[in-house]
Amino acid sequence: MLPRLAVLLAALLSLRPGSNPHGTELPSPPSVWFEAEFFHHILHWTPIPNQSESTFYEVELLRYGIEYWRPIPTCRQTLMLSCDLTAVTLDLYHSNGYRARVRAVNSTQHSNWTITNTRFSVDEVTLTVGNVKLEIHNDLILGKIQSPRPKMAPAGVTYESIFSHFREYEIAIRKVPGNFTFTHEKIKHENFSIQTSGEVGEFCIKVKPSIGSRTNKGMWSKEECISLTRQYLTVTNIIILFAFVLLSGALACRLALQLYVQRRRKLPSVLLFTKPSPFILGSQRPYPETQDTIHPLDEEAFLKVSPELRNLDLHGSTDSGFGSNKPSLQTEEPQFLLSDPHPQANRMLASGEPPELGDSCGNDSSNSTDSGICLQERSLSPGTRPTWEQQVGSDSRGQDDSGIGLVQNSEGQAGDTQGGPALGHDSPPETEVPGEEDPAAVAFRGYLRQTRCTEEKATKTGCLEEESPLTDGLGPKFRACLDDEEGWHPPALAKGYLKQDPLEMTLASSGAPTGQWNQPTEEWSLLALSSCSDLGTSDWSFAHNLASLGCLAAPGGLLGSLNSDLVTLPLISSLHSNE
Amino acid sequence: MKFQCVSLWLLGIMLILCFVDSHSLRKCLISTDMHHIEESFQEIKRAIQAKDTFPNVTILSTLETLQSIKPLDVCCVTKNLLAFYVDRVFKDHQEPHPQILRKISSIANSFLYMQKTLRQCQEQRQCHCRQEATNVTRVIHDNYDQLEVRSAAIKSLGELDVFLAWIDKNHEVTSSA
Repeated sequence: MLPRLAVLLAALLSLRPGSNPHGTELPSPPSVWFEAEFFHHILHWTPIPNQSESTFYEVELLRYGIEYWRPIPTCRQTLMLSCDLTAVTLDLYHSNGYRARVRAVNSTQHSNWTITNTRFSVDEVTLTVGNVKLEIHNDLILGKIQSPRPKMAPAGVTYESIFSHFREYEIAIRKVPGNFTFTHEKIKHENFSIQTSGEVGEFCIKVKPSIGSRTNKGMWSKEECISLTRQYLTVTNIIILFAFVLLSGALACRLALQLYVQRRRKLPSVLLFTKPSPFILGSQRPYPETQDTIHPLDEEAFLKVSPELRNLDLHGSTDSGFGSNKPSLQTEEPQFLLSDPHPQANRMLASGEPPELGDSCGNDSSNSTDSGICLQERSLSPGTRPTWEQQVGSDSRGQDDSGIGLVQNSEGQAGDTQGGPALGHDSPPETEVPGEEDPAAVAFRGYLRQTRCTEEKATKTGCLEEESPLTDGLGPKFRACLDDEEGWHPPALAKGYLKQDPLEMTLASSGAPTGQWNQPTEEWSLLALSSCSDLGTSDWSFAHNLASLGCLAAPGGLLGSLNSDLVTLPLISSLHSNE
Repeated sequence: MKFQCVSLWLLGIMLILCFVDSHSLRKCLISTDMHHIEESFQEIKRAIQAKDTFPNVTILSTLETLQSIKPLDVCCVTKNLLAFYVDRVFKDHQEPHPQILRKISSIANSFLYMQKTLRQCQEQRQCHCRQEATNVTRVIHDNYDQLEVRSAAIKSLGELDVFLAWIDKNHEVTSSA
C-alpha cells in the first residue's frame, strides 16, 4: 500500500507544472549591466552556463517609478549578449533612471530574470569626446575639442545642452620620439593651446572629458598627432629677409655711386707733365749710377745764351777772358747737350734728376763757382752709398756750405773714393778706385758754399791727389774740394756759392804732379775756382784745355781778385745744370 | 539736478532689488560640497540599489513630483526633505557593512550641515511653506509608508542621487574644487 502511494506521489510531483523535466532550471544570466555613452546605451549581460544553440534572451525595461516592465522586441535574438536600448531610453538625462532585466529563454523554458544592479541613470553615462582638431600656429598648437554627436540624439539635444556647466577636459600630450608624456593639463574650455617653445617633432594629444559637478567617468579620446617642423619661411622671416635684401641693395648702390664719384680720373694729356724727380736727400735712385756726369757742351750752345746773361755780373770781377761769353747757365734753359760718356749718366740726365747735382760738395775738388748748394748725393745707385755724413762732416767744418751737399759715397765708386781720404770715414782712397772714379767723378757734385773752413783744404788736397791719376779721357770731374782755401778762409761768411767745376779736374788732368799740386793746391784751387767762377756756370765747358788754360792763365791776378770775388760772389742758385 | 535724479533712480532700483531679494525670489545658497556627497553616494550606489527589490515603486520620483515644484517652494521642500532623510531614512536603515555605513554616515553629516545652512537662510528670507510644498512632502511620506520600513529605507537611500540632483538644480551651489 505504502509503496504504491510513494510512486503515485513521485509521479504527481514530476508532473508539476514548471518543473524541469531535466531536473534543472534554466539559469538566469549571472549579471546584467549597462554600458552607456552619450546617447549610446548598451545593455550587456553574461551568458548562462551550458548555453545551447537555441538559447536566446529576453530583455525588459522598466522606467524607474513606473510599475510595468516593457519588453524590448529588438533584443529578442539568439545568442546575443548585448542590446542597444538607446531608442527606448532617450529621456535618460531627464528622468530618474531605468532598470532592465534579462532572462534566458529556451525552447521550452525560460530562466529567472536578472535585473541590473543599479538604477541606470545619467550618472552611469561615460563621457566621451567627439574628436580633437589640431592646428599649428607659429609656435603654438591650437586644439579644438568637439563634443559627441550621436545619431540617436533627438533634435536639439546636444552634449552642451545637457551638461551645460562645468565641462572640463584633461589633456595628455605625448612627444612621439621619446614616448614621454607631458604633465596633464586640465582645461575648462573646448579650445586650448599648447606652447611648444620651439620644439620640433611629432606631438600626440588625447583628451578626457569630465563634468565638474558630476561623478561621471570619462574616457580618453583617440590620439591626434601633429608634427611640428622648424619653419623657416614664416611671415616674419620673409619680411625680415626682404628688408635685409632691400637694405643691402641700397647700401651696395650707395657704395657703387661713391666709388664712381671718387674714381681716379685721368688727367687730360695736356696737363700731364713729367715732374723732375724731386731732390730727395738720401733717397734711393733707381739708377745704378749715382754720379752726375757732366758732359762737354758745345760752345755753340753758349753763344745762344741770352746777352743778358752775359752781362750778368754773377761772378763779379772774376770774369776773365772766358767767362764773359758765357753767362750763367743757371738762368738759361739747358741748351747744352750733354754727351754722356757713361750711359748711366745719360739716364740720369734724361730723367733730369738731381743726381747730377749730387756731386759731393764738401770733399770733392770740383771746380764749382756757384750757387753753393752742394748736393750731396746719397744714393744714385744701389751700389752707391753716398755718405751724407761724410759730407756733412766735411761741411760742418765749412759752414759756408749751403748745407745741401750731395756726397757720392759709392764705396765701389770713384766718387766716394775721391772724397774718401778727405772724409776719413769710409771708402778709403784707393788707387784703383780713381779708375772707377771716373763715372762717379763725372757726376756733378753740386754747389759748394765758398766760405769754407780750412778743414776742407785737406779734403781738397785729398781730392786733388786723387785727381792726379785721372786721365784726360775722362770727363771732367767735379770735385767738391775746391771751395775753401786758406787764402780766403778768413771770411767766414758765405758770400756766395761756387759752383763746383770740373776745372780742377782739368787742372788735375793736365798732368801736374801731385807734388806740385800739393803746394799750390790752395792757390790752384783758388785759381781754378776763380777762373771757373768767371766762367760762371760754365762748368759745362768742356774743353779741358780751355779750362785748364783759362784756369791757369791768370792765377795771380785771379788770386788777388779771388779773394774779393769769391766773397762777393752772388748767390747763383740755378740748379738747372742738370739739364 | 540731473545728478540728483540719477542718484534717486539708483536708490530706487536698489530698494526694489532688496525687496525682491527679501521675498526669496533669489535662490538660497547652500555652500556645501555637493560633489563630495555625490562621490560618496556613487561608491555605495551599486551595493544599495542592488538590494532594492521593488524597482517599479518609487518614493521620491513619483511622476512630476519633484520636477513640478516651483522656485518659491524650493526652500520649503528642501527643508522638508532634508528633515525626512535625517529623521527617518538614516535612522531606519541598518547597514551591516562598515564601509557602506561609513559613506552613509558622511552623507548624513553633510545633510545636517545643509540643514543648518538652510536654517540661516530661512531666518533671513522667511522660508514660507506653501500648500503645494506641503502636499509634495506629504506624498513622499506616504510613499515611504507604503513599503516595509527596511525596504523603504533602502529604496530611499538608493534614490539619494535623485535628491542630490534636484538640489543641484534648484539651488545655487558653489562648484566643488
